[in-house]
Amino acid sequence: MFEQFAGETRAAVSDALEEARLRGDRRIGTEHLLLGALSHQPAAAAGTGLGVDAGAVRDALRELDTEALTAVGVDARGVDRPPIPASRKRTPFTSSAKSVLGGALAEVRREGARRITPAHLLIALLETKEPDPAADVLTRLGVDRAAARERLRRAA
Amino acid sequence: MDSADLSTRLTSLDPAVGLRAVGALHRLAEQVEASSVARARAQGWSWEQIGDALGVSRQSVHAKHGK
Repeated sequence: MFEQFAGETRAAVSDALEEARLRGDRRIGTEHLLLGALSHQPAAAAGTGLGVDAGAVRDALRELDTEALTAVGVDARGVDRPPIPASRKRTPFTSSAKSVLGGALAEVRREGARRITPAHLLIALLETKEPDPAADVLTRLGVDRAAARERLRRAA
Repeated sequence: MDSADLSTRLTSLDPAVGLRAVGALHRLAEQVEASSVARARAQGWSWEQIGDALGVSRQSVHAKHGK
């Protein structure tokens, strides 16, 4: 599948790995793919996509974590939270991140396109259901999934 | 919050929130580990001392955090 990735999609996936390290995660999940895909949409597509940017997604993820920690009595505000070291082994994808990659491929076939672009990843990410991490954050940000999907397909 | 409060809270906790909290604790632990290991090394701790403090072998802590 990876050989069909457009250049920006490869960059989006390697950014997803970096986002995982920044957040302290040892696997690449759908929330990291979402951040990577948002960072590599062509600038022209900015208003035509989800209507949220990577910064808003990062903030919402942090908020969800803070709330969950508070619910179990942990206050980690003000703690130094650096990126974790890169693993020497290959960083695996979570099972839902793998399904999103498969969903992006299905979207490419539906369109009859030749390359998997970041927009195909975003369309597949819009299909995730809670409690998937990407779905949780899209809900938190109030993203209208059907409208976003339409905009992304029209822009293709 | 005292421990009785917390245990009441945990038993009534929505599992979605509880599981997200576990994920958040893993992330927090990895980040606190990264910053603490870096500071311990800067203060001259050996990999063996750091491994003992973390309850893992010198080799595994060095493989994870050594440059």
